[in-house]
Amino acid sequence: MKLYDYILSPSCYKVRLMASLTGVKLDIRPVDFHPGTEHRSPELLALNPAGSIPILEDGDLVLTESSAMLAYLAAKAAPEWLAGSRPEEAARVQQWLSFSGRLTASLGGARLHEMLLRPGDIGALQTQGVAALRELEAGLFEQSMRGMRFLAAERPTIADIACFPYVALAPDGGVSLDPYPTIRLWSRAVRSLDQFLEMPGIHRLHELKPEPHVEGSEA
Amino acid sequence: MPVALSVDLPAGTVVPARLPAGSVALWRSASGRPAASADRCPHRGMRLSHGFVRGEALSCIYHGWSYGQAGHCLRIPAHPRLAPPETIRVTTHRVEESDGLIWIAVGNPLSQPPRLTGFAPLRSLTVLAGVAAIEAAAGAKASLEGLLELSEDARNICLLLSAQDDGETLAHVLIKGEAGPADRVAASRTAESLRRKAEGLQKKEITQ
Repeated sequence: MKLYDYILSPSCYKVRLMASLTGVKLDIRPVDFHPGTEHRSPELLALNPAGSIPILEDGDLVLTESSAMLAYLAAKAAPEWLAGSRPEEAARVQQWLSFSGRLTASLGGARLHEMLLRPGDIGALQTQGVAALRELEAGLFEQSMRGMRFLAAERPTIADIACFPYVALAPDGGVSLDPYPTIRLWSRAVRSLDQFLEMPGIHRLHELKPEPHVEGSEA
Repeated sequence: MPVALSVDLPAGTVVPARLPAGSVALWRSASGRPAASADRCPHRGMRLSHGFVRGEALSCIYHGWSYGQAGHCLRIPAHPRLAPPETIRVTTHRVEESDGLIWIAVGNPLSQPPRLTGFAPLRSLTVLAGVAAIEAAAGAKASLEGLLELSEDARNICLLLSAQDDGETLAHVLIKGEAGPADRVAASRTAESLRRKAEGLQKKEITQ
């Protein structure tokens, strides 16, 4: 399975993270997104006319939407990451998968503006980002009242992985995460998962491992 | 002032909190003791609230300098054999925890935090509006301690308001003790509506 990948892209990271959590080995093909704009090269446009990354290729299956890639990886290797049979759970997975597109547009737009100087109304993008974070905070709070730590169930699903990266990187776009205690707990729960994978700007929880011991420090 | 809900600070974690004096790293040790320090590592200025808690110490994410609850530096990983000098320390603040809320002392308060008789904390919201706009939205006045009782159909909810230095307000939503999960979800939605209304009033006032 081949992933056309850019290390700093939160959408590409979703796929790398999902693959790591589900134990799928990806063949990573790095794309020079910045400054090379290789995603708009004839070779990649032939695969994805929309000119976006990530692209996931498996045989003659070519996926260009990250949510579809998460669903594919889960269905193939770890179906417990998909919605169960309860209608509410199935609906919540779809709800937050769609919602993740708004995170990409708002927080992701603000991040592209701040990091790669993409044109855009930064004030409006940040305001939309705050609105999305408030919605997520309220949704997660309500889930906690139902005894559930994750967006759609008591266990993590592809919906959590679809929402996590752009939220965790919100400060890159000048949007603070300080006002959201429930998002903080959820982010911690995601980063506590076995086989959690880092990306630049999203680090693992250092306290989960014992303090590194330097040779001879007891001298 | 009330800065966070106890449930939002599990053992072994650190969160950012705000005081008039600036940002604070509020943390709870593995054994469950809360502490608060200035949100700035004296080494390179990184926010300590971005750090992590291991055992009874708070560590900076940047170079791992770690601090005890009294603020003194315990360990500098790059110099494992060095006992950090007494002079390396972070300013600390007194912390009190009662009725599910964490309070940080501002100055030298003479009294203990007020008791929340019959109410339990539900969640904390940041409101981009001042206390006056929230009072106007609720149609009620806050007490000296910052307690605002909602009227009519939301009698089981109460807000504990704490004004921030930038005109924002931290609102802790409190609910009558015996409420079930559905009541709690409804109370959270009521508080969100009140926030929308208060922020709308605040915006109107600014544009006038």
